[in-house]
Amino acid sequence: MKRLISMAAIILAAVLGLAFWSHSLAKAQGATGDNTLNLANWGDYIDPALIKKFEKQTGYHVNLETFDSNEAMYTKIQQGGTSYDLTVPSEYMVEKMRNAKMLVPLDKSKLKDLSNFGALYMNRSFDPGNKYSLPYFWGTLGIIYNDKFVKPGEIQHWNDLWKSKYRDNIMLIDSARDIMGFSLRSMGKSMNTTDPNTLALAKAKLDQMSPNVKAVVADEIKMYMAADESALAVDWSGEAADMMANNSHLHYVVPSEGSNLWFDNLVIPKTAKHFKAIYAFLNFLTNAKNAAQNADYVGYSTPNVAALKLLPKAVRNDKQFYPDEDVIKKSEVYSDLAPKTVGLYNDLYLEFKMYRK
Amino acid sequence: MKSLKKWKWTNLYLIFVFIMLYVPIAYLIFYSFSAGDTMSNFHGFTWTHYQELFADTRMIQIVVDTLMLALLSSLIATIVGTLGALAISRTSRPVVKNSILSLNNILMVSPDVIIGASFLIFFTALHIPLGFLSVLLSHIAFSIPIVVLMVLPRLQEMSNTMLDAARDLGSTNLQVLTRVIMPFITPGILSGFFMAFTYSLDDFAVTFFVTGNGFETLSVEIYARARQGISLEINALSGVMFLFSLVLVVGYYFIQRGTKSHKAKLKAKGAVTNEATH
Repeated sequence: MKRLISMAAIILAAVLGLAFWSHSLAKAQGATGDNTLNLANWGDYIDPALIKKFEKQTGYHVNLETFDSNEAMYTKIQQGGTSYDLTVPSEYMVEKMRNAKMLVPLDKSKLKDLSNFGALYMNRSFDPGNKYSLPYFWGTLGIIYNDKFVKPGEIQHWNDLWKSKYRDNIMLIDSARDIMGFSLRSMGKSMNTTDPNTLALAKAKLDQMSPNVKAVVADEIKMYMAADESALAVDWSGEAADMMANNSHLHYVVPSEGSNLWFDNLVIPKTAKHFKAIYAFLNFLTNAKNAAQNADYVGYSTPNVAALKLLPKAVRNDKQFYPDEDVIKKSEVYSDLAPKTVGLYNDLYLEFKMYRK
Repeated sequence: MKSLKKWKWTNLYLIFVFIMLYVPIAYLIFYSFSAGDTMSNFHGFTWTHYQELFADTRMIQIVVDTLMLALLSSLIATIVGTLGALAISRTSRPVVKNSILSLNNILMVSPDVIIGASFLIFFTALHIPLGFLSVLLSHIAFSIPIVVLMVLPRLQEMSNTMLDAARDLGSTNLQVLTRVIMPFITPGILSGFFMAFTYSLDDFAVTFFVTGNGFETLSVEIYARARQGISLEINALSGVMFLFSLVLVVGYYFIQRGTKSHKAKLKAKGAVTNEATH
C-alpha cells in the first residue's frame, strides 16, 4: 500500500513538473492571457515566420489551431466550446455559415488596404459585397499532365479527357462536386446545375469516360502523379502545385471553357472575442509585402493584386496558376446546394464510380 | 543442446509476426535520417529533422501536454477503477455482478467514434468548454473499464481464507484492505495503470471529438498536419517516441520485478518473525 501511495505521489509530481514545463513553453511562445488571437486554420496554410513577425510587431500572441475539413471546423464552432477569433472556410462553407448566422460582419472602416484585393476575387456569389469574408487564397480545378506521356498543348478542353488514346491513363480526385462539375462544364452547363435530367446526362457522359479512368483516389493522387504512375489527373491547383514541386515533368492546365473557382476566406465566427487583435491581424495579412511572403510559402494563388506585383515574374505570369481573365470570368464558384441536390450529386457520382467498363 | 531440442516450427511463425510488426516502424525511423523531404528515396544521412523537431516549441509543448494528460488520466482512472473492481468483487448477488460487469465490457467494446461523439454531445449539453478538462475527463472515463478488467482477475484469484485469517487475527476492515488485499492486487493495479497509460497516449478518435481551444494531443496534431503530406519531422518524432516507449517497457519490467522481490522479502521476513514468536 505504501509503495502504491509513493508511486502515485511520484506520478503526481511528474504531472506537476510536466504542467510547469508546458506552461513555460506556452510562455516562451508568448502566451500572456488576454493578449491573444485564436486562429483556426488548415494545417501548414500560413508562413510560421509571418506569425512570429506579427507577434513581434503588435505584441499579440497567436494561438494556432489546425483543422482538416470544413465540416469539422463548422461542427466545432456550431456546438460551442471553442473560442476561435478567425477561421478560414472555403467558399461554400462561408455561405453555409452565413446562412446559419455564425459569422460576424466585417467592420470595413477598420480595414486599411481593402483596395489591395483584385476586383475579380471580391463580391463573389457566396458573399455579396464581402460583408463577412476576405479572400485568403484561391485556385481552380484543372487537368495535370505529365509531359513524358502527353505532348504540351494536347490538352486544352475538358472534352479531351474522353479521347480513346488516354485509355486507362487518367486519375480523378475523389470528390462528387468536382467530377460531376467538369462533366457538366464539358457539356456547356453550369457547375451548379440542380436539374435532375441534366445531372443524369452528365453522369451518362462520365460513364463513357470510365475506360480512361485508371483510379479515383484521394490525397494519394499527389504521390502517384509525382511517381509517374499516370499521364493525366483531374485535381485542384493547390494540389497540382505540390505535385509539380516533386516532379518537373508535370504541368497544369485550366481548360479554356472555364472551370471551378475555389476560395479560402478569412471570416470572424460568432465565437470571436479579441476584436482589436483580429483587425490588426487582418490588416497585417492584407499588407502587400506580408501577403506576398505568405503566397510564396503556401504556393497557392493570392487574390491580393498588390502582393502579386511583388512576386517574381515567373510566378506572376504563370498561366497555370494565374489564368487569363476571361477564363476566370467563365469559371464558376460552387454555391451551397440544397441537401436534396447534394444527395443527388453524391448518388450519381457513386453510380459512376461503380460503373463497369 | 536443450535449446536445439526446443526449436520448433512455431518459432518461425513467431519471427514472421515480429518482422511484420516491426518493419513498418523501422522503415519510418530509417527515413527520419534521410536528407530528402519525402519517404520515396533515401538521400543520405542527416540529423536535420531531429534539430527541426527540437526547435519546434509548439510540437514539444504538444508532446509534453500529451504525456501529462496520459499520466494524470491513467492515475485517476486507476484509483477509480480499482475501487470499482473491489466493489464488483464484493457484490454477492450474481445478477447484479454480471450486469455491472457487462456494462463495463460494453464500454470496452464500443467503437471510439461513438464514445467520442457521445462525449461531445454530453459536454456541449453541460456547457463544459472543450479543452484540457474535457479531454481529461473523457480519457479517465474510457480508461476505467480497462483498469477494472485488469484488477478483477487478481481479486478473484485471492482466496477468502486469507481474509478470514486476517480478521481472525484481529485486523480491522481498513487493515484488511491496506495490508492484505492491496498488496495482493498490486500487480493487477500496475498493469491496469500501464494499459490505461498507453490507451490514453495513442487515442485519436475520442480526443479528436472533445479537444478544442488550443489544447491538442499528439495524434490529433499529426492528423491535422498530414493534410499537407507528412514531413519527416514526424518521422523523427516517431523515432523519439519509440525510444521513449522502449524505456517505458523496460521500466515496467523492473517495477514488476521489484514488486516480486519485495514480496519474496516480506515472506522471508514473515517466516523469521513467526519463528521468533514461537
